[in-house]
Amino acid sequence: MTIFILILLVCFSILAVFLKDILKSALSLAAASICLAIIFFMFHAFYAGVFEISVVAGLIIVLFITTISLTKAETQVKENLMVYFLFPIFFILLIGIDIMIYEKLSPGIPAVSGTIFSGHFGNILWGKRSFDLIGQICVIFAGVFAILSLFRGKEK
Amino acid sequence: MFIFIVLPLICAGIMPLLGRISKKRGPDILSALVLLILFISSVFIFSPSLREPWQYIQSISFLGEPIHINLALDSFSGLFLILISFISLMISLFSIDYMGIYGSKPIYYALLLIIIAALNGLVLSKDLFNIYIFLEVAAIASFGLVSFSLEAESLEGAYKYLLLSAIASGFILLGIVLLFGVTGSLSLDGIKKAMDIVNNRSIIILCSMLFIAGFGLKTALVPFHSWMPDAYTKAPATFPAMSSGLIIKITGIYVLARIFFNMFKINTGISFVLLFLGMFSIIVGTFLALGQKDIKRMLAYSSISQVGYIIAGFGVGTYLGVIAALFQLFNHSIFKSLLFLNAGSLEKSTGTQNLDEMGGLEKKMPVTATTNAVGLLSTAGVPPLNGFWSKLLIILALLQAKLYTYAIIAIIMSVITLWYFLIMHRKAFFGTLNEKWTEVKEAPFWMSFSMIILALSCLVIGIVFYAVLKHFIVPSSMPLIGFVKLKGFLP
Repeated sequence: MTIFILILLVCFSILAVFLKDILKSALSLAAASICLAIIFFMFHAFYAGVFEISVVAGLIIVLFITTISLTKAETQVKENLMVYFLFPIFFILLIGIDIMIYEKLSPGIPAVSGTIFSGHFGNILWGKRSFDLIGQICVIFAGVFAILSLFRGKEK
Repeated sequence: MFIFIVLPLICAGIMPLLGRISKKRGPDILSALVLLILFISSVFIFSPSLREPWQYIQSISFLGEPIHINLALDSFSGLFLILISFISLMISLFSIDYMGIYGSKPIYYALLLIIIAALNGLVLSKDLFNIYIFLEVAAIASFGLVSFSLEAESLEGAYKYLLLSAIASGFILLGIVLLFGVTGSLSLDGIKKAMDIVNNRSIIILCSMLFIAGFGLKTALVPFHSWMPDAYTKAPATFPAMSSGLIIKITGIYVLARIFFNMFKINTGISFVLLFLGMFSIIVGTFLALGQKDIKRMLAYSSISQVGYIIAGFGVGTYLGVIAALFQLFNHSIFKSLLFLNAGSLEKSTGTQNLDEMGGLEKKMPVTATTNAVGLLSTAGVPPLNGFWSKLLIILALLQAKLYTYAIIAIIMSVITLWYFLIMHRKAFFGTLNEKWTEVKEAPFWMSFSMIILALSCLVIGIVFYAVLKHFIVPSSMPLIGFVKLKGFLP
């Protein structure tokens, strides 16, 4: 199951880079982000999962789509072909970093047990990470007002 | 200290309601009042004696019950609190007369106040994940301000800003995840203690690279600078004033300084990378600014170059280097905000940002012309203005560290800066008045008032620079320089 979602995550990420329709590209990014959030939940990183869904899959994608919907495709922009060459290089580079982290650096990691994040999601959020809630409120406020500012023009 | 986050946030929330009750002046008054309160509070809360990193911790409680919110303060963060509230107060006052042309003032002020809450939250936090969240808040609210004019170019700039900001967040988050995985902590001091035990060089190098890429994008260091000119050009002038004066400094330089001075011990490798990126930004920013006809685009490239001086100062890594960088950061916030507000004043009066279309505006706009002259001379490092002293200190720090080539480059680029700014000033204010501008009037009261205060600040800080250094800048750099070789000239 994890492998299947990981493959989906990589596929949606590649689609987000290569799709020429910018709206479809943003939707692929949202799908990739949801896959990542599912992986977080599967590994019991509920805290990271909630933030991934609310901020990245939710708010950022809404802002992307709103901006796209407000712009008109008046001129055809020629795409830079560099992306076809650069993307595989960066992709391989990141895979290399992943392998390095898992193979060489992970032994001896002290973080897995007994850290500040052990316990239920509610306990963590209310008991130990209350300040993040203030940040989350700020994120929601910022998103709401950013969208309001974009739509005030459409109303005109 | 909680007031610095909660008060702007609450006022942002009630801003649309206030806009309905008192459409004309309500949002202006509330915003200015909140920022005035924050400015006075920040002056009172600043204490030069808090010289240890995060020396004062405040735990928030509600009805006697702790709610697990800990805010940390030292003299370094105290200086930033003053800077945030002072610059944003000036920008808010400028907006009273300036933002009328864009409409929807309540939404504008709400976004502005949210950015201020986020910057204050970032400065008062010592937890990497809190810092990450407040970075996101500042980025999203900034997106709203960049796209505020709703013109195609501003939307394009905003899109680019959001996209590159998301990439920067990705780098930063990956760095945070790696550090948490290795140390089991998210607090900066907790990570420092754990890293001393774990002593994993590979992780430190990898995280340093990720943080330099992520925060370099936020700071618009070359080669991560491409978002800045596009985002600044069509946004209301108050946004670049806010961004260049505060946002890039706090979401980029402040956090980098905390990471490399308080969390990781700055070493020769990191020092070299920072120095190289700083010098590269100085050179590229200066030459790109040279050929610009759009005043805001020219100022954007100038910002990239001036930020290079700050990063180069931190990169030197000595006592004098850190103090010089902090002084340059403090001064740059003031004079670059002033120059962007001047650009806004010109844009409002003439309706153009193109320098080739201007000319002879000195007699029509004497206040803007005078304050612009102060701002540009200060940026170029002309004595006795504040920019001169900070640039001099940076050059002295480079010389002291025997980096003679870098020092010579810094001096040459400063002269080129003076050159392109004089061209800009001549094109805008000197020469014969274009017939189109015969009806042009000086900026209204509040716009002129904020420009005059900022220009006076440049002048006064320049004159009493030693006192400012001794009582503000040197104590504020103390939480950073515990790990730095002490061989300075200053007390």
